[in-house]
Amino acid sequence: MSGAVGREPVFPTRQSLGLMKAKLKGAEVGHSLLKRKSEALTKRFREITRRIDEAKQKMGRVMQIAAFSLAEVSYAVGGDIGYQIQESAKQARFRVRAKNENVSGVYLPQFESYTEEGVNDFGLTGLGKGGQQIQRCRETYARAVETLVELASLQTAFLILDEVIKVVNRRVNAMRMAESTNVYEASMLSFLEQRIPSNVCNLPYRIEQDLANTYQDINSELDELDREEFYRLKKVSNKKQRDNAAADAEILAARERAAEKAAQNGTPPVAESKEPEPETTDVLGEQEDNDVIF
Amino acid sequence: MEGLFFNVNGGYVEGIVRGYRNSLLTGQNYSNLTQCESIDDVKLQLGPSYGDFLATLPPNPSTSALAGKMTDKLVSEFRYLIAQSTGSTAKFLEYLTYGYMIDNIALLITGTLHERDTRELLERCHPLGWFETLPVLCVATNIEELYNSVLIETPLAPYFKGSLSHQDLDELNIEIVRNTLYKNYLEDFFNFVNTHPDFAGSPTQDVMSEILQFEADRRSINITLNSFGTELSKQERRKLYPEFGKLYPEGSLMLSRAEDVEGVALAVSAVADYKAFFDAVGLSQGGSGMGGMGGGPADGKSLEDLFYQKEMDMSKLVFTRQFTPAVVYGWMKLKEQEIRNVTWISECIAQNQKERIGNFISVF
Repeated sequence: MSGAVGREPVFPTRQSLGLMKAKLKGAEVGHSLLKRKSEALTKRFREITRRIDEAKQKMGRVMQIAAFSLAEVSYAVGGDIGYQIQESAKQARFRVRAKNENVSGVYLPQFESYTEEGVNDFGLTGLGKGGQQIQRCRETYARAVETLVELASLQTAFLILDEVIKVVNRRVNAMRMAESTNVYEASMLSFLEQRIPSNVCNLPYRIEQDLANTYQDINSELDELDREEFYRLKKVSNKKQRDNAAADAEILAARERAAEKAAQNGTPPVAESKEPEPETTDVLGEQEDNDVIF
Repeated sequence: MEGLFFNVNGGYVEGIVRGYRNSLLTGQNYSNLTQCESIDDVKLQLGPSYGDFLATLPPNPSTSALAGKMTDKLVSEFRYLIAQSTGSTAKFLEYLTYGYMIDNIALLITGTLHERDTRELLERCHPLGWFETLPVLCVATNIEELYNSVLIETPLAPYFKGSLSHQDLDELNIEIVRNTLYKNYLEDFFNFVNTHPDFAGSPTQDVMSEILQFEADRRSINITLNSFGTELSKQERRKLYPEFGKLYPEGSLMLSRAEDVEGVALAVSAVADYKAFFDAVGLSQGGSGMGGMGGGPADGKSLEDLFYQKEMDMSKLVFTRQFTPAVVYGWMKLKEQEIRNVTWISECIAQNQKERIGNFISVF
């Protein structure tokens, strides 16, 4: 997890620092949200698995009973009524309604069965004999189909959830934190990286780590710039102080000389003698400074 | 008197049928069958009575294939009988096939109404209900044509006449058509055994009247019970009751007015047998009287089971009479019940539901 692995291609400016900070924050929130989503989905997934198990066992029993009630019908009627029933049925009595259920952002189709009460297409089948068995058989089969519909709804949800959980988990893993300080975790991750082919756990996808890297880099570069700036300013102010001190000394010296001359020659004009001298000293001083410093 | 000349024409047929009767499965056979672990075992157990017909079945056949082969045997034996019979016996045997014809025609009418290819329907027809003009029904493409040119030619034409017009075929539920035909058929059959000079005053009249009366009553009761909760009006329902039988006319009238199971029980209480059935399955029957509640009695027998039991007992008793073609009727009913029994047992074995495997009817 070294810092140099990946970073965003941005210039280290203060603006992009702010940008990166916001992005990193977003990535962290997104990561925790995704993780929570994945947990919620997994919980749901386990529940569905359990219910599928129950529904399948129930289906076994119900279908057996239903098949047996058909045997009862054939015993009572003494013949094949299948054709007549197929022909007389015009409208579906047992219907299925589909609706969507939202589980943490995933739409799961849910099938709901209901019977259309008005429809009774083979009510008179078996009028002569076996009518009661036929009615009972129909009810048993309606229950069996109900179980099948329930199972179908669960199985569909199972497939969809399975896919979604895989995607979400991959995203969560891709976004996992670069600063995972936990040594154990880090070692395990690197171990996993060795095992898992690179296209599954692809480096460019480690958004959070990259962002953190970029943030740190920009920060350190800006610090560097700051330090340089500070040093330069310090140097400049140092030099200015020295210059000022030198200029002050020159002026003092000039004044002294002027005072001496005045003392020797009476009183010469102070202003005249003073003006050219600082120019020459300034020029000289600068040249001297340059030479000395650099 | 009838014993003097019956054997001239009908002796051979009667002898054959009595032979067939001996090959019916007995209680011992059934208890062997219920011990079977697979359909193959069942097939093996059926070997002595069905051997050559089951030989072509693949290993572990479906129950419907098994039942199909057993029906084939019944059909071929019946065809032999009808080929051997003459005169009034032949006529009697023909009457036996009309019931199946009604089923076949109902099937074809259903197919025609839905504009199906009627050719494929022919394969589904019961072979006993086959008659020469049955394939002609396929020619008809609409229901009016079917009625005007085809149904008129069938042996069932008299049953259509007077009670059903071709408009009825369009509008009525096919079940009502079927039951109307069956009602007319039962009345005609009853009339035949009572008035035909060969049968009047003979044992045939005795046993067949009793059996047909029972059949008529059973249909009336079943239709009433099954019509609860459907759109069948009381007027229409009444038209489906055969106009003879122990319940006719008072019981039928009360049946037509019955609105629930209690009403039916009250209507049949005049006849001791039926009253006993209703008492056995429990009058209340869950109170609702809707179709699904019919068979929840304490001892595992439903009303229909009891009716079947009674029918089998009567069919068995037919064999105590001599010089009558009614034994053919008894044998056929017993054979059909046997096929149902074997189908039931093999269903139970195939679906591994042994706890109700004993729910069949064995009379021998």
